[in-house]
Amino acid sequence: MDTHETQPPVVSSPPGRISLRRMTLSDVDDYMVWATDAKVARFCSWEPCTSRDEAIKYITDSVLTHPWLKAICLEDDRPIGYILIMAVDNIRKEIGYVLARKYWGKGYATEAVRLVTAEIFKEMPEIERLEALVDVGNVGSQRVLEKVGFTREGVMRKFLIMKGSLRDMVMFSFLPSDSLK
Amino acid sequence: MPQEETNQENSKESSSEMEIDSWTIKSEKIQTAQKIHLRPMTLSDIDDFMVWATDSNVTRFCTWEPYTSREAGIAFINDVVLPHPWLRAICLDNDRPIGSISVTPVDKIRGEIGYVLGSKYWGKGIATEAVRLVAAEIFKEKPEMERLEALVDVDNVGSQKVLEKVGFTREGVMRKFMCLKGNVRDMVMFSFLPSDSLH
Repeated sequence: MDTHETQPPVVSSPPGRISLRRMTLSDVDDYMVWATDAKVARFCSWEPCTSRDEAIKYITDSVLTHPWLKAICLEDDRPIGYILIMAVDNIRKEIGYVLARKYWGKGYATEAVRLVTAEIFKEMPEIERLEALVDVGNVGSQRVLEKVGFTREGVMRKFLIMKGSLRDMVMFSFLPSDSLK
Repeated sequence: MPQEETNQENSKESSSEMEIDSWTIKSEKIQTAQKIHLRPMTLSDIDDFMVWATDSNVTRFCTWEPYTSREAGIAFINDVVLPHPWLRAICLDNDRPIGSISVTPVDKIRGEIGYVLGSKYWGKGIATEAVRLVAAEIFKEKPEMERLEALVDVDNVGSQKVLEKVGFTREGVMRKFMCLKGNVRDMVMFSFLPSDSLH
């Protein structure tokens, strides 16, 4: 007996699929899902987490104290990753994000970056430039920024050391005067 | 920094004209490149320093305003020049500085090159020669450096040409990258790696 499976029609992601909120210690088990995953950590500066105690320590020391870090949550309010803003200097901020692998390829990171980019200049009116530095090998993350409307400015060769290797990094930027896609 | 041989004449121009024949008139001008050398700056360079440091044409794309007093110039040499990890006077044959060039660490692996030249000496390839000298030597002197970079104002076309002539790679325009004298400027990022070839 044939079973016909019809593909759902392709629709643009409806608004409000994800929400952003501050992380808490009670998020530790969800945090460990992505933090222990070597594929997630591949282009990050950190090594995969190896124990729950290590995760609790990291959340306490670095996540809860972070000036701007938000959990990316689905409808059940459980985090599937996080997004953060770091100060580079008085006028430049850098955006960074990480997502559990199970949720890759569905537009969640794009939506999170779009949400933050839409609001951050109102929240921080002194910012003249929001930038992102992406490893040349991290094509997925480059696509996220391009889909949101960031400008790809160029490849900075041998720009920084990641896990002991010198890496070429792609520089992206979004200005208050730019338009979101 | 070893001193270059300086027994060549400055700005030598010679022209020769070939015999006029029925088909061609040809003249050649040969200009010898200005010979420059680099050496550390000292307090005794203060008066030469003031020549370029007081010139608003020179400071146009610099983060600093023209100097207005010898005392301020002396303070700058004491506070910034002498303690600098790598700064050299750009000198002609008479060993008097006409500008300076420096490499400032950005972090453990990146150094930023900067240079300034008295406007009287612009357009003669001097900055190009100074940058070339530095790019040729700096990685031997600083083996931990993996990347020499330069940030140039989008409007500073002269300085962009210097780096391109030496063989730096123009990586892209970083929009609204830096505050220069109260304005947020777009800056062109250039780099030169130990594995790159000088032009």
